[in-house]
Amino acid sequence: MSRRKPYVLPEGKGPVVWRSLEDFDAMTSDAGQADQKKRAEAELPGGFTAGLPILQASSLLKKAKPDPIAAQPRPGKVSVGRRGFLQTGALAAGALGLQGCIRRPEENILPYVQGPEYLIPGVPLHFATATSRGGDALGLLVTSHEGRPTKIEGNPQHPSSLGATDVRAQQMIWDLYDPDRSQGPARYEGDALSDVTFAELDTALRAVVAKHTADRGAGLRVLMQPTNSPTMMRVKHRFSQRYPEAKIYTYGSVSDDAMRASTRLAFGLDLAASYDVSRADVVLALDSDFLGFEPGSVRASKGFGARRTPTAPDRDHMLRLYAVEGTVSTTGAAADHRLRVPAQDCGRFLRALAAALTSVTDGLGALGDSLRVETDAHWNDFIRAVADDLAGVNGKSNRTQAGRSMVVVGPRQPPEVHALAHAINHALGAIGGPVQLYTVLDPNRTSGPGALRELAGEIDSIETLLILGGNPAYDAPADFPIATQLRREGLTTIHASTHRDETSTRSNWHIPLAHELETWGDQRAIDGSVTLQQPLIAPLFHGRSELEVLAMIAGERNWRGHALVRRTLRERSPSPVAFERRWRQSLHAGLVAGSRQSAVVPPGVESAQIAEALLAATLPDALSDSNLEVQFIADPHLHDGRFANNLWALEAADPLTKIVWDNAAIMSRKTRDALHLRNGDMVRLTRGDQSIEIPVWGLPGHADHSITLNLGWGRTEAGRYGTKQTWPGIGPEPNWDAGGFDVHPLRTTDGFGFAGGVTLTKLGSTYELIQTQTHGFMEGRPIAIDATLEEYREEPEFASYRTVEFTSGPLWEEVDYEPREVATGRMLAKWGMVIDLSACTGCGVCTAACQSENNIPSVGKQEVRRGRFMTWIRIDRYFTGTERDEPGFALQPVGCQHCEEAPCENVCPVNATAHSPEGLNDMAYNRCIGTRYCANNCPYKVRRFNYLDWHSHLDDPWGMHGSFPEIRQMMFNPNVTVRMRGVMEKCTYCVQRIQEAKISARRDQRAMADGDVVTACQSACPTSAIVFGDLNDAGSRVARAASVNRRYKLLAEVGAQPRTTYLGKIRNPNPLLTAHAGHAHSDDAHHEEAH
Amino acid sequence: MAVWYYLSPSNLQVGYAPEQPVPYSHRLHAGELGMDCRYCHANVERSAKAMVPPTQTCMGCHAVIHPESGALQPVRDSWETGESVHWVQAHVLPDHAYFDHSAHLAAGVGCVSCHGRVDQMEVVRVEEPIAMQWCLDCHRDPAAHLRPTTEITNMEWEPDSSWDADEALARVNPPQHCSGCHR
Repeated sequence: MSRRKPYVLPEGKGPVVWRSLEDFDAMTSDAGQADQKKRAEAELPGGFTAGLPILQASSLLKKAKPDPIAAQPRPGKVSVGRRGFLQTGALAAGALGLQGCIRRPEENILPYVQGPEYLIPGVPLHFATATSRGGDALGLLVTSHEGRPTKIEGNPQHPSSLGATDVRAQQMIWDLYDPDRSQGPARYEGDALSDVTFAELDTALRAVVAKHTADRGAGLRVLMQPTNSPTMMRVKHRFSQRYPEAKIYTYGSVSDDAMRASTRLAFGLDLAASYDVSRADVVLALDSDFLGFEPGSVRASKGFGARRTPTAPDRDHMLRLYAVEGTVSTTGAAADHRLRVPAQDCGRFLRALAAALTSVTDGLGALGDSLRVETDAHWNDFIRAVADDLAGVNGKSNRTQAGRSMVVVGPRQPPEVHALAHAINHALGAIGGPVQLYTVLDPNRTSGPGALRELAGEIDSIETLLILGGNPAYDAPADFPIATQLRREGLTTIHASTHRDETSTRSNWHIPLAHELETWGDQRAIDGSVTLQQPLIAPLFHGRSELEVLAMIAGERNWRGHALVRRTLRERSPSPVAFERRWRQSLHAGLVAGSRQSAVVPPGVESAQIAEALLAATLPDALSDSNLEVQFIADPHLHDGRFANNLWALEAADPLTKIVWDNAAIMSRKTRDALHLRNGDMVRLTRGDQSIEIPVWGLPGHADHSITLNLGWGRTEAGRYGTKQTWPGIGPEPNWDAGGFDVHPLRTTDGFGFAGGVTLTKLGSTYELIQTQTHGFMEGRPIAIDATLEEYREEPEFASYRTVEFTSGPLWEEVDYEPREVATGRMLAKWGMVIDLSACTGCGVCTAACQSENNIPSVGKQEVRRGRFMTWIRIDRYFTGTERDEPGFALQPVGCQHCEEAPCENVCPVNATAHSPEGLNDMAYNRCIGTRYCANNCPYKVRRFNYLDWHSHLDDPWGMHGSFPEIRQMMFNPNVTVRMRGVMEKCTYCVQRIQEAKISARRDQRAMADGDVVTACQSACPTSAIVFGDLNDAGSRVARAASVNRRYKLLAEVGAQPRTTYLGKIRNPNPLLTAHAGHAHSDDAHHEEAH
Repeated sequence: MAVWYYLSPSNLQVGYAPEQPVPYSHRLHAGELGMDCRYCHANVERSAKAMVPPTQTCMGCHAVIHPESGALQPVRDSWETGESVHWVQAHVLPDHAYFDHSAHLAAGVGCVSCHGRVDQMEVVRVEEPIAMQWCLDCHRDPAAHLRPTTEITNMEWEPDSSWDADEALARVNPPQHCSGCHR
């Protein structure tokens, strides 16, 4: 019986927004509405007027079925009431407390013996380094507290980072302190790996070197990961010189082979493409997640953010993004138009598009007949509109220049599709503009299943196999049995890896690999810029790098990483003096000066070759209920499985499905219903003679007859957190299974990216999949607000019109936050944040950065199921529009809004949450007694409660010894309190950074400047969607952003006056296609179709 | 009431003078020899932590001054073995309170305000109850504890006619809200 007035919006204003398919049904069907009413009843049974039963302590203790008689208060009998219990309890607790607390335990201070140069205890240092992203590098700045790296940010000078990072970079700090990393070398003896010393390992390696020096490497093979390291290339060369008959194979489960092959086909050169979105007006993403989780996504997202934030209508040309894809990627969710096409038909789509382009642009005519394909009827309008828009012939188009549109194809598509995209981009004049092509470090390298297959073919005739990184026993394609061949009689397999994983336990020797933050190396970005990868800490478990292991085998006398990397740079320096200077400068800046290369602009495309390849490719059979397609996608967080033991990655919600701790068979609602399945039903997917069992999940917007399978899950030897767990349920609890499902059995050489011919059988059992989205319930109010560019031009303040203004006066005395001098030369700050939904792609890096900065724990699948996830920023995902199979998407980060009239503060009985004069909603953890009133009174549901000691919870679920692996303590940010059980917490606007900036300004006797405080989420955001600063400083970025006309406050009608301002999302649909637009304007909100 | 006082920092903290592994005398070094606090606590103006000096700092002088002294044996051991000297922390702040030395020095609060006359202490002794009440007393009314930033380490500084207390007060803005110290 809510007293809240019904929420009335002006007729026809704003889109229809829903959180899930169940929500949609509830909105559109009578049965659904009845069900919703029932749910509301369950929340407040009988309303407030019904008598509440008085619980007795005895009934609580027994935990049995409440006895109807015992539940009644019995006159004349003494019962321990709540009050009595508390009184006795407090006395007992007091008595206990008195015993121990005479003085705190003695604490020691251990100063350095010799203070390291530059290191001031208490002042963190920042070092530039890099992490590998396939053929690219991501430049990083790592914060180190007294030699202990704790936080990763982007290097603003690095071309692939530009100051931001992706989610994996934020989470990699966890891997450094992973307690399950291999802690020493091992040898397979009996039937298990047993520890050996490094001396024993080195003896064995020396024997290998001696043996194969004698046979010129004839019996020696190396299998390694794709590399972007110039030093590694040099060491490989040296290896080949020493062992001329040996071979080095490269295999990556996530491969860029098709891209490489396509440039050979189209340009006769090995090139890599980088996308400069800021130079494009129209982009078509074909089965590509170039804004989300593919290499180069940070750089692309920077351009995207800049081109999607119209500050004034009619002034800027806004980027228009089309997506054609089978799965739902973050790129697709950010697109203005999305066409659902199964991965296998994307090539056919592109040919049809190219055919349509031939009539509006030159340069594609030579492809001739190869473009002739049948198109699906519902593609035609889309193809026509996209072709016109790409070619710039659309009369209504904003565009005036040529060369400002491009097609981006994802790595799963075959080479001929990529090559066709090159031809289109060439015809559009995009190459050299938005599409930048660069030469690669290692031309003619293949890293796909072909290389592995070749190795498997000759594995029976070799003597030594050195596997440098990677986990082929887990991620090799299913059509050749490499896992079973590794420990053949007469073959010595040496596996170097960070964990003792599936491959290690099948090898003869195991070498522990060091983490990227522990080793020397160098990494080349896609544009040729080289970053020296410098270690932040000595290897915690004495591991070695891949570089060092290979150099040792290659017979380098000084095989230590530092010497190897220096030698590479020295070879390119004119003199020793110049080298030393260059070395220091490069280490400091994170870039080797002058290493950047200019983009290659090939003179033309080899149309004949492309046409030939297109004609040679067979078009797949049409999909149906009995011929399904599976698409293999690198998991956004676990990637190919290498981050499977990372607690942050395991609990990071998938950007679109919001599922945590598992993967699933993601399919469209239509396919799910046609096969008579419900979410969580276990099914068997069969392809050829291989099959997997996996639960089903229906995702609106997914292509029909296609199933998305994320790689990286279902590991059997990942570590204590990531290994697939099964644990029967206890009592009413469902089972505790977590860790996902291995989908590799379906993945073969000929179906590496996607594969058809899959059949599905329902198994009858179910599996509990947990997602975070439906936890918060916004009751149909406008939360994520969007409009089209046209609507925005007509009504620039649409966002504020669509929220309901608060009308009654404030309950409390209003605080004055007006600009004024609080100390000589110091103005009162008014901290505020602006989140631009137009730029945001919902990738989740803010959440990850916040988790790392603020010591936020992961709680485990069961606790997420109870709604207890702890991330301070959650990313809400909404579907918009009235077509449930063709939804638009709205993604919205929500953290504490720092309300000026904070509802949480008024209900705290102990004043643990209070307001600062600068408007921060402070949390004093030590005052909190855990009533949770604040969380209940928060309209935004952004407060998180430590129900248990979450940090140790997964290691100690019953709270017996209350500790967790000591090494994990090293990742904590010392400037943020580690919260204990029973305490409320929430986003603080990174108050530790604010304080540090203020103190730093005081120290230097200067006033604070805009940009002194950068919150963790703001710094990490690749689209620059988050701005933070002082709203009282009229010139600050945040003050300017907060006055943009599409601003609005979340739930303005409750009158909490949040400090966080949102900027409404602007979509830029093609007027010719508005019927397809995600943000549909059809009036019949009850559009229905048979299902 | 007695229990309340007994458990309060005024009783439990004030007077705490733990025995140190080396009988280092602040009275001798800072008092008689007149060494500035910052000779050893070198980064106190730059960092949150005042920093107990590295063994190297001790050895800088004691390699030649009293090189044979038995009292300095732990320092020499530390220098030779690379093991830190295990000094005992006297002024203990709870982990959830974030105190920053550099901020206080920059604002013109002298060492003596919190640490007392260290230059007269043979053994460092806690002089003030390091408790929130005591912190807030000063944060609410800092006037009595402000001094020119050039006189921070001067244990004997007294305001004279040239000292403009009002001007000093206008320069500072000590936080009294939670996040000033708790993060």
